[in-house]
Amino acid sequence: MNFDLSKLKKRPAHPFETIAVAIAFSPRLEAVLAEAKRLSFVLEAGLILIHVGAKSQNKEEKLEKLLTKVGLDNNHVRVIWAEGNAVDTILSYCKLNIVDLLIIGALQKENLLNFYLGTLARSISRKAKCSVLLLTKPSVDAAKPKKIIVNGVENAKTIHTINTAIYLAENYMVDEISVVKEVHTPALAMTIADDSTAPEAKVLKKSISTEEEEKLQLVLKKCNTKKIKINEKIVNGKPGYAISKYARDKKADLLVMNSPDTQLNVFDRIFTHDIEYILADLPCNVLIVHSRL
Amino acid sequence: MSKLSHHDLIVLLLSISTMLILSRIVAELGKRFKLPVVMGELLVGILLGPTIFGQLNPEMFNYLFPRDGSIPIAMDGIFSLSVIMLLFVAGMEVQLPLMLKQGKLAVYTSFMSMVIPFFTGFATAWFFPEIFIDDLTEWNKFLFALFFGTALSISALPVIARILMDMNLFKTNVGMLIIASAMFNDLIGWLIFSLVLSLSAGNTDKMALGYTIVYIIGFGLFMLTIGKRIIDRTLPWMQTKLSWPGGVLSISLGICLLSAAFTESINIHAILGAFIAGIAFGDSVHLNEKAREIIHQFVTNFFAPLFFVSIGLKVNFIENFELDIVLIVLVLAYIGKVVGASLGAYWGGMKNSNALAVGFGLNARGAMEIILGTLAYNAGLISLKIFVALVIMALVTSLTSGPLMRKFIKQ
Repeated sequence: MNFDLSKLKKRPAHPFETIAVAIAFSPRLEAVLAEAKRLSFVLEAGLILIHVGAKSQNKEEKLEKLLTKVGLDNNHVRVIWAEGNAVDTILSYCKLNIVDLLIIGALQKENLLNFYLGTLARSISRKAKCSVLLLTKPSVDAAKPKKIIVNGVENAKTIHTINTAIYLAENYMVDEISVVKEVHTPALAMTIADDSTAPEAKVLKKSISTEEEEKLQLVLKKCNTKKIKINEKIVNGKPGYAISKYARDKKADLLVMNSPDTQLNVFDRIFTHDIEYILADLPCNVLIVHSRL
Repeated sequence: MSKLSHHDLIVLLLSISTMLILSRIVAELGKRFKLPVVMGELLVGILLGPTIFGQLNPEMFNYLFPRDGSIPIAMDGIFSLSVIMLLFVAGMEVQLPLMLKQGKLAVYTSFMSMVIPFFTGFATAWFFPEIFIDDLTEWNKFLFALFFGTALSISALPVIARILMDMNLFKTNVGMLIIASAMFNDLIGWLIFSLVLSLSAGNTDKMALGYTIVYIIGFGLFMLTIGKRIIDRTLPWMQTKLSWPGGVLSISLGICLLSAAFTESINIHAILGAFIAGIAFGDSVHLNEKAREIIHQFVTNFFAPLFFVSIGLKVNFIENFELDIVLIVLVLAYIGKVVGASLGAYWGGMKNSNALAVGFGLNARGAMEIILGTLAYNAGLISLKIFVALVIMALVTSLTSGPLMRKFIKQ
């Protein structure tokens, strides 16, 4: 397949004009389609369904039935039937069709072997050149997300990610979002134990936290925060794990985060860090924003 | 069962309390002048040891720190336990994911800050062994060269972390790069050193060397994958169902000792087991920060002073001070580490004077170097003169690291 990458390069992370759904004929397909339909209607985006696998009359009939059931027809949706390596094929069609958001149903947790080998949803999340929405519990009723949490990590992409979360929240009529910054200070315990008094240790920890708060505020100043309330939160812990735990504790509906900076491989899963903690055990639906910088 | 006599017990308790109280007082005084705690502890050892107290009042010195009988054996047990605990907490701060996520710049810096000092040390010891050792058999020359290379390539994470925090650089890119590289240096350094210790214990044939390497790699891989997963699964249970903080403290230290016993039993030194157990334990996301602090406080404030004071008790620093060796070790340490780390940072993409700041930052050797030197001396790998030179190098590099970094850093 030949791509015109110039159309993709520097394309803003939002609005989501074209949404694709990677479909498999699993029991959750109806719920995934219902969620995709709702999102495409809310965002007024075009919808493409991509299925990798042999096309058959049985599958076509089943899909048509489900589309009708969730209220979609051929005017709203285009179906692509393709064959080949599932991950590469889906990602190729996403590039070819200038897809802004790819929706995939994903299990909350994979078994150990599948996690290390990399399942379809996780592999796409690691490689995609567009934003990816992983739906852990898609619902036919497709309720709007109420609690949206955004990762405020220190990174050039974060402004785009926060703005994308705000764009989604505004379209969903959600009044507020939480931007969470994780603070992880390796060797802090060792340094404090060596030669700090209790008040000194307290001041040191406080100063680290304050510094991170100030950095987050600087980032938020550059975001489109005028129409929405932003809750800022600093959490301590390892990047990826801390925000995942926070999202789970707060029963978040959607966790929004940056796409990985580098190509992740099996070592990143063995020595888990950042996004891999989230992919290992999805705390809720996860939106990975790809800012084509 | 033989046991300490009433008198021996009193002397043992007196000597331990003297070491603990004096080292704390001197360390607190040193803090006012921004001197590392380890320096105060070493100074107390020198004051209490044969260098000063032993000269001024030999009778009292021999009473408090006898060289024969059951007290030195009891002390030796405590010191061995101390070094195992120190390596455990050092391992707890090595975080492999942090190294992975730092990317190309960290890979270049970590690699070069290890390789260049290692080869600087190895080549000097290999081609000019007469400077350092009298026994010039090929095997001893090889072991010493391996050790000397390792000694020059190791870094001291606690000192470096403190310097970066004082300079408000810890959370910057330069700070994280230095921390990640120091972790890598420590990890590889202790792996090589474990190999050297194992070889020095008599495993001299090629077969034994091969087995030792396989054991070290196998044990490391097991602990950092399966062992770490088991710890990950059980830690939340330990922290919620067992007494707090006693439960996590006893289980973690128990795992450390178990792991140390295992490596010792397969002819790799106990320190490797403790170090790797520390990595597996400290890297767990479930380890409560408070629990981590408690383990550090316990080890750093009880075992560390005993260990570092004991160094001064065993060594006469004046008698064993040889200026030539000290200067050579210092020059090689600075050249190897600063050039290696700076070049790595430069090739990794850091094109300004920050690359030099990274070099000077990683140059601090601190307590880790002293532990390494002590173990090497105990294993008969080095003479007291080289040991004293290494201790001085550790202190000088730690003291100069901050000011030199400040000179080159551009924020």
